[in-house]
Amino acid sequence: MQKILEKIQLDAWIAALGEWEILAPAMEDGIWGYHPLDGAVRLDHSNTTQPPKGLSFPQREVFFSFEQIKGEPPRLTQKMPAATRRAVFGVRPCDGAGAVRMDKVFSDHVADPYYQNRRKNLAYVGLACNKPQGSNCFCLSVGGSPVATEGMDVLMTDLGDRYFVTAVTETGKALMSAAAKVFTAPTAADKKLVEKTHADAVAQPQRAVNDVDAAPAKLKASFDSPLWEELARACIGCGVCTFLCPTCHCFDINDESTGSSPIKGNRVRTWDNCQFPDFTMHTSGHNPRESLGARLRQRVSHKFQYFPENFGMPQCTGCGRCISECSVGIDIINTVNKVTGHVG
Amino acid sequence: MSDNIYLPELARIAHIKEEIGGERAIKTFRVEPVEGDTFKHECGQCAMLSVFGRGEMMISIASSPLIKEYKQFSIMRVGRVSATFHELEVGDVIGIRGPYGNSFPLDDWKGKNLVFIGGGVGLAPIWPLITTALAQRADFKNITVFYGARSPRDLMYRAELERMRGDANIQLSVDKAEDGWKEFCGFVPANVLDKKPSPDNTIAITCGPPIMIKFVIENLSKLGFKDEQIYTTIENKMKCGLGKCGRCNVGKDYVCTKGPVYSWAQLKELPEEY
Repeated sequence: MQKILEKIQLDAWIAALGEWEILAPAMEDGIWGYHPLDGAVRLDHSNTTQPPKGLSFPQREVFFSFEQIKGEPPRLTQKMPAATRRAVFGVRPCDGAGAVRMDKVFSDHVADPYYQNRRKNLAYVGLACNKPQGSNCFCLSVGGSPVATEGMDVLMTDLGDRYFVTAVTETGKALMSAAAKVFTAPTAADKKLVEKTHADAVAQPQRAVNDVDAAPAKLKASFDSPLWEELARACIGCGVCTFLCPTCHCFDINDESTGSSPIKGNRVRTWDNCQFPDFTMHTSGHNPRESLGARLRQRVSHKFQYFPENFGMPQCTGCGRCISECSVGIDIINTVNKVTGHVG
Repeated sequence: MSDNIYLPELARIAHIKEEIGGERAIKTFRVEPVEGDTFKHECGQCAMLSVFGRGEMMISIASSPLIKEYKQFSIMRVGRVSATFHELEVGDVIGIRGPYGNSFPLDDWKGKNLVFIGGGVGLAPIWPLITTALAQRADFKNITVFYGARSPRDLMYRAELERMRGDANIQLSVDKAEDGWKEFCGFVPANVLDKKPSPDNTIAITCGPPIMIKFVIENLSKLGFKDEQIYTTIENKMKCGLGKCGRCNVGKDYVCTKGPVYSWAQLKELPEEY
């Protein structure tokens, strides 16, 4: 399904999606992210600082609460997410690709019910990038595209005063059909223009990871490279690279205690981070990834070697956030290129 | 109980045995389901145990799958959750979910000699294998158990090991000699080299501190064991047990799903991050 939506009709479309909660890019506490719509929708921003991954995988969530008198079975109360349908507007293709990778992690082996319950109620209404969103975009070199539909339910392309709107999934068709009146059929000229817009978008210069298909073998051969420690030396271990990554999924599970007699509290999942030293430290004190270099190698190798070995695609979508937001200039493109560049 | 993979079953502590005292105390807990049946497991698999209000920890199941009534766990007091476990009493109710990980291919080893090599609390993960093999004694040829610890007081399952003599060749060792100790004195790898088990039609299974495993494998290689004849079980920090939380990986493998059991031939292919 392909339609034209005049930009002034965008609010009318959203108004027709009454049963959906609408999220869109917004600034909160000085940071651009995806938030419940408050007023008119704005899509004229560059990509958000926070990817939409927190909508399916929140930074903190309660699995269940417990209440236990010593010697007796506890009362466990599950906290499954509410089944609210949410449509997220303005998602960029790198983050659509990120959602596809998150889906693999949380459905492979066994399905994660908390993630799945949120994800199945989320629809992504994407917006193609007619030009790179920043100087660190590199989606084209990691198998993506600024106009890709991967992970999207709908993809919109900005044609100046209107959007070219394509339904990608059945959910996307339903979203568009809910407001059939606000859309018009595209003309041959519209179709030509969107093709040209997409071709121009793909032709824009971007930074690039060299030969992503060869990276798994080359990284495997570079496991003991001294470059890892050298490139990681400036790292302050803040973890912003993974917290803002659209595909980083590592987490911790802890009990938050709220009372001791009876024992009361919540079992809680929070984001965790492979750049923290205690992420892998055994109780004995032994740490398989003790050094900064070993931890940088893990982050990079997970994305460009281990994930491709397991799922056949890189776990990096080229959004560039980890580069732009790193306070000490650690650059995943340079890291991959330098390390793999030393292998024949 | 539910299809929520993070929601534990409830189990009651039925029996507690103090294996070893002191700073690195080890206690063995038998746990039984509060109601109904619990999950089945295989030799080498792990379970996530929890004390509500303190958290979860991944522990090897130390009882044979042939035992249906309870599961056994031998736990050293080292961290927050294990220290809390050591304060628990018979009758207390804990959380348990699992089983996690792969298992030892014991059925493939029928008709072979088995050499078990354990150190310290590392006897626990291979204990189900030892006891299951001995319960099916006729299916295997010679069964040898090397086991060592720092001192005679640090040897766990001592009485059970003594009862196995006759059915198995039991070779104990301590790092430091004490009066009255009549068996080998020295590290476990040295004891293996001293007794020279034959690699012919034999599988060797080892578990213990990483440094011990390293030298055990070196010495087994010296004795002519091929990489495919050596098995070990490795541990890494774990939170989910389901291949999602991201910390137990060794290269592309999450130990909680692809491990913990590896042949040395398989483990050699992975980076040394364990």
